[in-house]
Amino acid sequence: MPKKIKKYSIEQKQARWGFAFTVPCLVFFAVFSFYPIFNALVTSFTSRQAIARTSKFIGLQNYIYLFTKDNGGFSLLNSMRATVIFTFGTFVPMVVISLFLAVLLMQLRRPSQKGFFQIAFYMPAVLSSVVAASIWMILFDPRGLVNQITNTVFFTSGQDFKWLTSNVMLQFSTMIVYFWKYIGYFVILFITGLSAIPPSIYEAATVDGSNKWHTFWHITLPLLKPTIVLVSIMAMLQCLKTFSTQYMFVQNGAARQPIDVITMNIYYTGIRNGKLGRASAMSIILFIIMLIFTWLQFKVSKTDDVEY
Amino acid sequence: MNTNKYVGRIGIGEVIAWIVLILVLLFTITPIIFMFVASFMDAKQILAMPFKWIPSRSYFTTENRTFFTNFYHAIVGNNNNNIFIRNIINSLIVAITCSATTVLLASLCGYGLAKFNFKSRNFVFMSIMATMMIPFEAIMIPLYMVASNLHMMNTYQGLIVPFLVSAFGVFQMRQYLLTFPTEYLDAARVDGYGEFKIFHHIVLPNCTPVIATLGILSFRNQWDNLLWPLLVSQSETMKTIPLYITKFSEEKQTDEGAMMACALIASIPMFILFGALSKYFIGGAEVYESRKG
Amino acid sequence: MAAVAMTVPSAVFAKAKKVTIEFWTHEDANRQKLEDRYIKEFEAKNPNVQVNVTRQAAEKLIELIQTSFAAGKGPTMFNLSINDEYPYIAAGRVAPMNYKAAGYKNAGDVINAYAPKMLDPVTVKGKVYGLPLELTNWCIFVNKKVFRDAGLDPAKDLPKTWEDMVAVSKKIVKRDGNIITRRGYDFRYKYYLENNVPMVEQLGGKIVSDDGKEAIVGKDAWIKFLTFMQKWGPNGDNLGSPTYAHARSLFNKDNNDIAMCSTGLYQEARIKHDNPSFYDSGEWMVIPYPKFADAKQDVAACYYGHYYMVNADASKAEQEASWALIRYMLNHGEEYLKEVGLVQPTTALLNSKTFKDMPYSSVFANDLKRGHIVYYGANTTAIQNALGTAIEGVMLQNKTPEEAYTELKKTVQELISE
Repeated sequence: MPKKIKKYSIEQKQARWGFAFTVPCLVFFAVFSFYPIFNALVTSFTSRQAIARTSKFIGLQNYIYLFTKDNGGFSLLNSMRATVIFTFGTFVPMVVISLFLAVLLMQLRRPSQKGFFQIAFYMPAVLSSVVAASIWMILFDPRGLVNQITNTVFFTSGQDFKWLTSNVMLQFSTMIVYFWKYIGYFVILFITGLSAIPPSIYEAATVDGSNKWHTFWHITLPLLKPTIVLVSIMAMLQCLKTFSTQYMFVQNGAARQPIDVITMNIYYTGIRNGKLGRASAMSIILFIIMLIFTWLQFKVSKTDDVEY
Repeated sequence: MNTNKYVGRIGIGEVIAWIVLILVLLFTITPIIFMFVASFMDAKQILAMPFKWIPSRSYFTTENRTFFTNFYHAIVGNNNNNIFIRNIINSLIVAITCSATTVLLASLCGYGLAKFNFKSRNFVFMSIMATMMIPFEAIMIPLYMVASNLHMMNTYQGLIVPFLVSAFGVFQMRQYLLTFPTEYLDAARVDGYGEFKIFHHIVLPNCTPVIATLGILSFRNQWDNLLWPLLVSQSETMKTIPLYITKFSEEKQTDEGAMMACALIASIPMFILFGALSKYFIGGAEVYESRKG
Repeated sequence: MAAVAMTVPSAVFAKAKKVTIEFWTHEDANRQKLEDRYIKEFEAKNPNVQVNVTRQAAEKLIELIQTSFAAGKGPTMFNLSINDEYPYIAAGRVAPMNYKAAGYKNAGDVINAYAPKMLDPVTVKGKVYGLPLELTNWCIFVNKKVFRDAGLDPAKDLPKTWEDMVAVSKKIVKRDGNIITRRGYDFRYKYYLENNVPMVEQLGGKIVSDDGKEAIVGKDAWIKFLTFMQKWGPNGDNLGSPTYAHARSLFNKDNNDIAMCSTGLYQEARIKHDNPSFYDSGEWMVIPYPKFADAKQDVAACYYGHYYMVNADASKAEQEASWALIRYMLNHGEEYLKEVGLVQPTTALLNSKTFKDMPYSSVFANDLKRGHIVYYGANTTAIQNALGTAIEGVMLQNKTPEEAYTELKKTVQELISE
């Protein structure tokens, strides 16, 4: 009996300590994350504008407006289209290609070579988005390098591929910049995952007569699943939240409509046009979209984890 | 750790692997080399068709420019007020502070979530993870008002405090600490060490890889922060590097050379940091190795 | 010198308590020098007043002021372009003028000191809410050297109509494949209300009907205008595009990459500052805003104004000090004109020798008469964006003028009925 009581109180004490350790962060998130998003939620139900002195409660009108009206030519539906296209056009190639590159890197003979490539791939991520955008704006200029290189590769000359001017190419350009920036980061994540697989597994497979391709599909890939899911979710969420790339492009003269991602629409509607109620409603909608996509990804990947 | 070691013959697979890797390498490196090279050129050369990678000597003498004219313009700024240096210092202060606080607070929180059992543990963890889904633009204005009411406008506190810790940091620390052997902790407790001492003397020193990675990533995120300083830094002396570059590009829009010089200078601290600590970026082997035994 | 002397004796403030003025304005290197000097002098004359100046890029300033007002912490005094400022008057966020502090007897006195209609945008129900820092209109600056290089005569071949403008630009344009390396004229993109709406008005259209109920009036005029822009851009004659560097930024450098741009009188001071040898060489000139050959009306580029305004939430003492500061700075009208190229639309200045002596000021003055103030209302930014979408849509994307017109009409109609 005395032993039991002692154990209970230790556990209780431990629990309290555990909670105590999380308190500083909780306080921080309460003030700087929970409160603001709650504030945004409340604002989304009002007609709040930046300069007006008063605002009134209007229920779901902001939401209805966003799904039915134009918002000055930059409708929410257009933003959703732009965001979805950007997200899927970027994160899917990014995940697939970075996995592919990680596998290739694992084939190299010397670890120093692997390290060199990882560093080289990662370098763009080291630059700030503003710097990256300013470089690429010059590269994508009609007279710039990208046009020149593309012309060489396709054996044409003097053709402007309209990287920043055509609707479609502009979206493609933002994807290229984002991809360029983050590919190295995801390669490293996959290398971490691949390195965590003990070599004994591969040895066992080779002993069992498996060839490389078979090993990859049936052993490596399933073992890598948790990493892939994790990386996918991270990449997708990051793409959904994209802002700087599109913002910098528009600031430098590109058209806004084709790349008017939701975050940018929120910014312009709220800070530029002063329609705070409406911008808050858009933020809540984005938040919900992100929750849904994350939940979907979890569901899709919910098969038994491979144990080894 | 290589999983497939070839000995001797180079197979066709390997050749293709190298070709692909080199192509991707060119893709990632070229814009950076471009920035470096262009910072020594003037606008005419940068947008010349075809682009010449080596700045021609002739125009240096004819147009009264030196090797470093662009850098001079970049630093001196449009109003000759040399504010760029101050902006760089601001960025450094903010990034270093946020990096330090993030590591500290995230490790505290991650430790609590990973190594202790309390009822609300999962709820707390999920709530913090949920904040990762809040886009900054959504809370920008309420945050502005909070900062304004706390009299943090146009101050270092205003730039730092909203970014004291990140949910991602908490996640990383928790994941890492989940695999920390609990036996050590229990042994220390039996020996009579207080919880805080355990954290300080046993847990933290053994977390160096993840602390370094987290620290660097936090530094980088703050270095890159554009929107928040845009709202908070109203006077020139409080602005950070991204603001300086945007302003510079708006005004000197046609002086691409100075723009690239500006961009290069702004990237130097990151390159140094990255160069010195690159092994904490390169994933896999080292982290795995150090955890064995 | 100044026509109306400052009538507020500094003794008025001698016993007043300490006052701080947060003054937010947009950046301009030349104006900054003057402002800093005047502020120092004002602070010396009024030791209990401290002035903190914050300067931002013009685009950012709009957002920052709005955000700060949203948080209830707006600056004590500021200036913006009237189309961005009008919502503040409409929402009651700026204070009516303290006439005495500003050195006038009453509203009538102020209005008379300025050229006719100049204070209309800031006068509501007989109260005046701002004083103009500048009134600007844009004319066409021409680089004579580029004209000659293209085989044109800078005296005889100057474009007078938009059709001329196209013809002249076609001769001047140089390309590498599809990529333009030298332009003739190019528009001032993003400022469609100021620089492009007059083209529509020349053709008989309007942005908003006179009774304010209908948007984008005059289908034929608008479609003709959009077709013109489409032909100008990469989908047509490829004479220019919003994605190239701003014409006005390139003009001063005299790099043989642009022949004409739309900008204001202040550009002269900037040319002098950026490229003195170009300024002194006289190889530039200014011509009036072109007109369509078959124009129904003659309309030049719209003029816009920046007005100094004072925060309605500031204390009485702060407001008083602000108006006094505004008046003190504005008293130096001729210096603003000479050093910065800013035109304060006071009757005194417009008739002064200084103004008449500025190169090509008569061109600007005439175009001021041909034009009218830029559209201002509650949703000006959004309307500006909508125009941008329409024009960029036909130029850069593949929208037809009819599609762009229909979309534009729908969007702006929604905006004005909000």
